[in-house]
Amino acid sequence: MAGLATLHPSSKAAARGWSDLTIRNIFIIPTIMFLIIFNVFPLLYSLGYSFTDFRASVNEPVKFIGLANYRELLNDPRIWNNFWVTAKYVMVSVFGQMVIGFGLALLLNRKIPAKGLITTLLMLPMMMSAAVVGLFWRLLYDPSWGPLNYVLGLGNLAWLSDADLALYAVAITDIWMWAPFVMLLSLAGLSAVPQHLYEAAAIDRAGSWYTFFHITLPLVSPLLLIALIFRTMEAFKTFDIAYILSTQPTTELVSIKLYKFAFQEWQTGKSCALAYIVLIMVLAITNIYVKYLNKAKER
Amino acid sequence: MLRRTFMSLTLGTAMALTGAFNAAAQAEELTIFWAEWDPANYLQELANLYTAETGVTITVQTTPWPDFQTKTFAEFNAKGDAFDMVVGDSQWVGAGSTGGHYVDLTDFYAKHKVLDSMAPATVKAYAEYPGNSGKYWSIPLEGDAAGWAYRKDWFEDPKEMEAFKAKYGYDLAVPKTYKELRDIAEFFYRPDEKRYGIAIYTDNSYDAMLMGIESTIFSYGGELGDYSTYKVDGILNSPQNAEAVEMYKTLYGFTPPNWGKTFFQESNQAITENLAAMSLNFFAFFPALANKASNPNADVTGYFANPAGPGGAQHAALGGQGISIVSYSKKQEESMKFLEWFIKDETQKKWAELGGYTCNKAVLESEAFRKATPYNEAFYQTMFSVKDFWAVPEYAELLTQINNHVYPYVISGEGGSAQAVLDNVTKEWTETFKKYGRGG
Amino acid sequence: MAVVTSSRKKVWNRVAIAAVIVIAIAFLSPLYWIGSTAFKPRSLATTVPPTVFFQPEITPFIKLFTKRVQLTKPVDPAVYDAAPWYEQRIYDGGERILRVGPNIQLSQYPNRFMNSLIVAIISTFIAVSMGTITAYGFSRFKMAGEADWLFFILSTRMLPPIVVAIPMYLMYRVVGLNDSHVGLIILYTAFNLSFSVWLMKGFMDEIPKEYEEAALVDGYTRIQSFFKIVLPEAVTGIAATSVFCFITAWNEYAFALIMTNRRAQTTPPFIPSQVGSGLIDWTVIAAGTLLFIIPVAVFTFMLRNHLLRGVTFGAIRK
Repeated sequence: MAGLATLHPSSKAAARGWSDLTIRNIFIIPTIMFLIIFNVFPLLYSLGYSFTDFRASVNEPVKFIGLANYRELLNDPRIWNNFWVTAKYVMVSVFGQMVIGFGLALLLNRKIPAKGLITTLLMLPMMMSAAVVGLFWRLLYDPSWGPLNYVLGLGNLAWLSDADLALYAVAITDIWMWAPFVMLLSLAGLSAVPQHLYEAAAIDRAGSWYTFFHITLPLVSPLLLIALIFRTMEAFKTFDIAYILSTQPTTELVSIKLYKFAFQEWQTGKSCALAYIVLIMVLAITNIYVKYLNKAKER
Repeated sequence: MLRRTFMSLTLGTAMALTGAFNAAAQAEELTIFWAEWDPANYLQELANLYTAETGVTITVQTTPWPDFQTKTFAEFNAKGDAFDMVVGDSQWVGAGSTGGHYVDLTDFYAKHKVLDSMAPATVKAYAEYPGNSGKYWSIPLEGDAAGWAYRKDWFEDPKEMEAFKAKYGYDLAVPKTYKELRDIAEFFYRPDEKRYGIAIYTDNSYDAMLMGIESTIFSYGGELGDYSTYKVDGILNSPQNAEAVEMYKTLYGFTPPNWGKTFFQESNQAITENLAAMSLNFFAFFPALANKASNPNADVTGYFANPAGPGGAQHAALGGQGISIVSYSKKQEESMKFLEWFIKDETQKKWAELGGYTCNKAVLESEAFRKATPYNEAFYQTMFSVKDFWAVPEYAELLTQINNHVYPYVISGEGGSAQAVLDNVTKEWTETFKKYGRGG
Repeated sequence: MAVVTSSRKKVWNRVAIAAVIVIAIAFLSPLYWIGSTAFKPRSLATTVPPTVFFQPEITPFIKLFTKRVQLTKPVDPAVYDAAPWYEQRIYDGGERILRVGPNIQLSQYPNRFMNSLIVAIISTFIAVSMGTITAYGFSRFKMAGEADWLFFILSTRMLPPIVVAIPMYLMYRVVGLNDSHVGLIILYTAFNLSFSVWLMKGFMDEIPKEYEEAALVDGYTRIQSFFKIVLPEAVTGIAATSVFCFITAWNEYAFALIMTNRRAQTTPPFIPSQVGSGLIDWTVIAAGTLLFIIPVAVFTFMLRNHLLRGVTFGAIRK
């Protein structure tokens, strides 16, 4: 991480109370220990199981089967379909959130009556439980008893039963929930753009497009990247909304497949192996993002 | 601001801790786990009578149907004692008994002569495992089967009757065969009028859609395999089963729009919202339809048993559950006492009065029971012809496999033909059985 | 924003305001729908065209807090007349309230709500406190491989929760933390900790270290200067972090569904469990949802000013 701030302890201060080293350790080590115990340790635990035929539902001895689970999973076209569905979903929903969220922020970034109230109200969707949101959107989407199709004049459009449409329906719900999050971060970024830059641009008679692309966007981009990282990570993890809205094979995200393996079929070993495949993928994606973020910050 | 935040946090924590403390104080308490539906509420009401008699508090804990299996087995596999008794699905007996989750009730059966009071078919389906072994793991609690509700007013409308006769050459009446069911569904399918032919189960998250498919397969004279030899090939993918799946797909074409993830609520809603002429559902969900407050069409809603297939066979998918004692419970003695009370004839009579579907022979056959509701007669008839899914411990995998193939075919026509789809399922089931070393 | 107030700018401003209004309405109408459904009679909840004007009633809330059952035969008029008004509303809906002896049986909603409060408040408190001091540690002191440690901390948030759920479930069953408040608190703390460290780290970096240096020169110890100088400066960041952590912990569904049962189950898995009983009663679900959103909404509203500023300082480094 760039820009590490260090403080050179004055020898006087260090003489009194705890030393800086002690304080650093007391402040940092518990958190790292906590995360190791509750994140790394479980992961090692499941790494072990991913090489076995373990089923948590039976009391049979566990057999070591090497890479068989991984081989089986990677050769299963259905698992690849889960990944493809997830990729499509992440792209559609994150793209939608970024566009709508940033657009809203641009619109709101001016003198607007009751701006604070509107911003706060718009944040309500992301304060709701995704499970409940999914439940209600199932009602909203229904052509026979929900209001959406009637209000939009869509007739009998079968949002969730149409295999091709269902994933977009899930993504729309996710966009509704999380675009305000992107909006919040973008607003924060926009309000941090120094006013004098705009003034200078106005004096130079720069066009609004030029101002946007050469002043606004570069300065907001670190925050937009943060929003992008968090939303991508979260979209990759989406479970509740999709699980409650639709059971179409075309909306079966990897996390749903994992849930089914682990807690419906109790193929514990195999589910651990799939979890590892997912983990490696997410780590790779986030690593790329974080590199970009650091670059953007250094600018 | 920060101080206020911290204050409220501290206050909340203190409040929370007192709450947690209070919760730990309760003692004489039993918990029964079941899915969220009316019968569970009736059971709670029945259990409250037990509380009044004995002072033992009983809580019927519920969870939505799609998560019921997951939650139960998550608790079982964690060897948790959150539940003392579970009202488990008939398919679970295998997993529950071989996995050591259920307490063996064979001695209880002998001591309290359970076989004399309960209907034999229900004991076989809900309690005995392996089949014909004489070992019992639960007490039949709620009998259930798939049946149909229909709109009497639509069926009896003279104009409709005339038009139907003109089109199909026979009288519009309660369907006796699947062919008639299809014709009527097609006849009432009028998207322009927001009227549709039929409502069926399509949710593939647990066994919902399969219940509909199973009912059709059984009436077509098919089977899901040989339950004693584990032979599947040639039985599951038989021509009549392919025909049955094809029929289910045809029926799906006459359902209301967006009918791709539907279960009992949607089936009932199809009747209350004037959407469909006929609706597939379990009998246990019919009280909501017979109730005028929840169904404005209650007076004009009729009920019939699952129709016969082309060969004349007439069956229906078995629902319903037996109650078992969880082997990890610390209150097994107390639970046994409740079961003793539960199987008494008076209790069973009260159970039926409250709205439960008793499996008690005497109550079931009584005139009073068969006349008690508009659907009890159809239920009584159906209970003699029910068939069930596999009850092997790995039934959940079998369920997923058949859902994986049949659902996309029924909903989106994927997978080529019904025969090809069933061939695929047959292959996977055979492999699964081989994996668990069944059938030699 | 507009420094040059040409008429063209004014027109653009109007267009922008109109667009904001349209989008805001689009975003808020599902919420209006949920809120209004909580006060509707059951028969008006699923009408097409949707019902907008109706006589509001509180029956859904009575239903939310009581254990009810479907009537199988009409209620005896004498019993109906003798019943209190709230019980009559239930009878009107074709249901009856369960009783244990003479007492009305309450639903599990209050209990679940309490569990949600316990778990969300405590886990947020722990995650934010630990996050704050750890962020301070990382921000002020040198540490070998700091970037790697920070990435490690972030990486713990990348996993689909289900990935951790499997081993956690296995671990919990060994140590007996299933279905306990402590178990859920630990889980949610682990979820939020990485987020909390990252957000607070950015914020700590913003606080000029000269403030502390001055304090140290004045004779404060490092710990004293942390509490007296740094923490008050960090209020905004702490508030913003708390809001996000609280929202996550308050609404978590998958773990609560798998790991908890009657003792510690929180509200999110409970609300969908109201869908049973033959027909979905959307009014009760809406009532449960509405009450459930109040604590987060109030919390967010209280801290709204910090939120916007907190996010700015926490994330952008100039």
